[in-house]
Amino acid sequence: MSIKKVFLLPAAFGLTAFAAGCGGTDGGDGQVTLELFSNKSESIGTYERLIEDFESENPDISINLEAPPEAETVLRTRLTRGDMPDLMSIGGNATYGELAREGVFKDFTESAVLDEVQSSYVDMLNALVGPESEGNYGVPYATNANHVIYNQEKVDELGIDIPQDWNEFIDVLETAQDAGETPIFFTLQEAWTGMAVWNAVAGNLVEDDFAERKNEGEATFVDEYDEVADKMVQLLDYGHSDNFGVGYNDGNRAFATGGSVFYIQGNWAIPEILESNPDIELGTFALPSNEDAEENELVSGVDVVLTVSEETDHPEEAEKFLEFMVSQDVAEQYIDEQSAFSAVEGVFQEDEVFDGIREYFENDRLTSFPDHYYPAGMGVENLVQDFLINQNKEQSLEEIDNEWDANQNR
Amino acid sequence: MKKDHVFLMMVLPAFILFFIFHTYPALQGIFYSFTNFRGYGDWDFVGFINYFNVFQDGRALSAYGFTFQFAIVATLLVNMLSLFIAIGLNAKIKFRKTLRAMYFLPFILSVLIVSFIFQFMFTHMLPQLGQALDIDFLSRNILGNQNLAWIGVVIVAVWQSTAFNTLLYLAGLSTVDDQVYEAADIDGAGSWAKFWRLTFPLIAPFFTINMVVAMKNFLMAFDQIIGLTGGGPGRATESIALLIYRGGFEGGQFAYQSANAVIYFIVIVAISVIQLRILERKEVKG
Repeated sequence: MSIKKVFLLPAAFGLTAFAAGCGGTDGGDGQVTLELFSNKSESIGTYERLIEDFESENPDISINLEAPPEAETVLRTRLTRGDMPDLMSIGGNATYGELAREGVFKDFTESAVLDEVQSSYVDMLNALVGPESEGNYGVPYATNANHVIYNQEKVDELGIDIPQDWNEFIDVLETAQDAGETPIFFTLQEAWTGMAVWNAVAGNLVEDDFAERKNEGEATFVDEYDEVADKMVQLLDYGHSDNFGVGYNDGNRAFATGGSVFYIQGNWAIPEILESNPDIELGTFALPSNEDAEENELVSGVDVVLTVSEETDHPEEAEKFLEFMVSQDVAEQYIDEQSAFSAVEGVFQEDEVFDGIREYFENDRLTSFPDHYYPAGMGVENLVQDFLINQNKEQSLEEIDNEWDANQNR
Repeated sequence: MKKDHVFLMMVLPAFILFFIFHTYPALQGIFYSFTNFRGYGDWDFVGFINYFNVFQDGRALSAYGFTFQFAIVATLLVNMLSLFIAIGLNAKIKFRKTLRAMYFLPFILSVLIVSFIFQFMFTHMLPQLGQALDIDFLSRNILGNQNLAWIGVVIVAVWQSTAFNTLLYLAGLSTVDDQVYEAADIDGAGSWAKFWRLTFPLIAPFFTINMVVAMKNFLMAFDQIIGLTGGGPGRATESIALLIYRGGFEGGQFAYQSANAVIYFIVIVAISVIQLRILERKEVKG
């Protein structure tokens, strides 16, 4: 082998790998391959089953599911590389709004798919994008609820009635504590789980247009989150002995095996809890952070937005997949397997775990996740975690204010 | 002439790869640090504004504070421990080769895996021990305590990287000629004197390189923190590398964190140069 060949070898190898990397879009025989990017590790199994059904209905389309950890970060880096996935299944949060403003998603205004879903969730997504952009850049698919989950057996034992306002809630927590139970299982080692509490409390106490006014410099956390902060600290008294030492997965397991009476989390935690203990009986209610029972609403947001890249080579095939997803049977299968709620018109979550919150959906007593409107880069969850540890209200709220403002300068 | 050609061909591929995957992105980063680029979309030049903002950023300053505290403590501990272990492994003991292999094992394991295992121990095993022994601060997960979490990170970092530094010290110790010790024995030197007067000065170059390499590695700590605390509780263990990653990729502050990275690059170079200067001067004296 001549020297020249030795040096060409790695180059040739590199090129093959490169070609293999690029060549995913078209198979040899007119087959179209689409990439579906999902941000939820919880739904991988469900998507794999749905994709199989879709592929057998549409033999000329094949779909590759991609569900990496830290999916939002991966999506941003792929945007930097100009390599957006054809299909995306992502959360309806600040990142969605940012990407939609950037114009990387297809506009669905003319699409029939949008007629299949509830318009209030379409509006919720548009609020994330902001008033400057006209158009509908995503199809709301699954929605979630941020609520209190309770252990039915313990609640029966303690003779607790489901609380309707803040004072009743505190009374109930007292009852549990007096009986020697752990009232709430906190998992604050993972900062984001603090936001489940924060959102549940703030959703009913802070005005909906807070973020908008904050961006215009007309509102501050110091002024409007004072009560939220007090109530957060109050709830912390009803935790266990190591509130900041236990993470989400361990918390799910602990709650599933009777570690506490209540657990403040979203519906996404329910399949995980049932996996640890399939026999546990669970119930849910909206965290009543307001003193006035009438004012208490359920915090709910768009958990899964389906959208298509503006630059995909196969917009028709991608749209076909969305049509498949919003069909009634598929939407039902999705929410059954994921313990989620559907944004598709006429598809309802029947699981009795959600008996306690069904009324909120039926009567439209819903409010959105406050933190979905915070700037994505400020890392609010760590600031809230810090506040809960040190409990220095004024200083912490001021810092959250400052981080928000600083974020706009970067 | 022909020979030059061959040598050039040996160096060139590495140079090209290094330039494409390291130098060029680094230059891009420096370029973008003068813009308001978010990682995508349109951008403008903004001059030095990003740099001014970094100096006023409390989050960045506290990340610098944590990173230095962590790096200095970890560097000192790693060097003391690995020198100690290397001297032991260099002595004529039983199972020397087996022991050497075992002490090298942590280096082969992925930092992230090690961190997850330690996280499990800190969360589930250590608190049980603390409760059994009735030690208050140990009876809760130390990673959940803002004042103690950094110690957890130090323990993992030291446990993992002592292996490599031990290897370097072993290499250094094998360069010391046994005759030197024989001469010292004849002069009646004790083992303490032998270490400080002979061994340490003779392996001083290895001490220098170990200090610099360990310090540089710990200043760039990332994996241990992701695996153990994710930067928490609060922002108590947020290192600069983690902050750059979080802000730059998750928060759309690509240009701003590029500026932070450039500043940090200068800081690390400066520290390495100062370390080399001071320690090399010591070497000559010794």
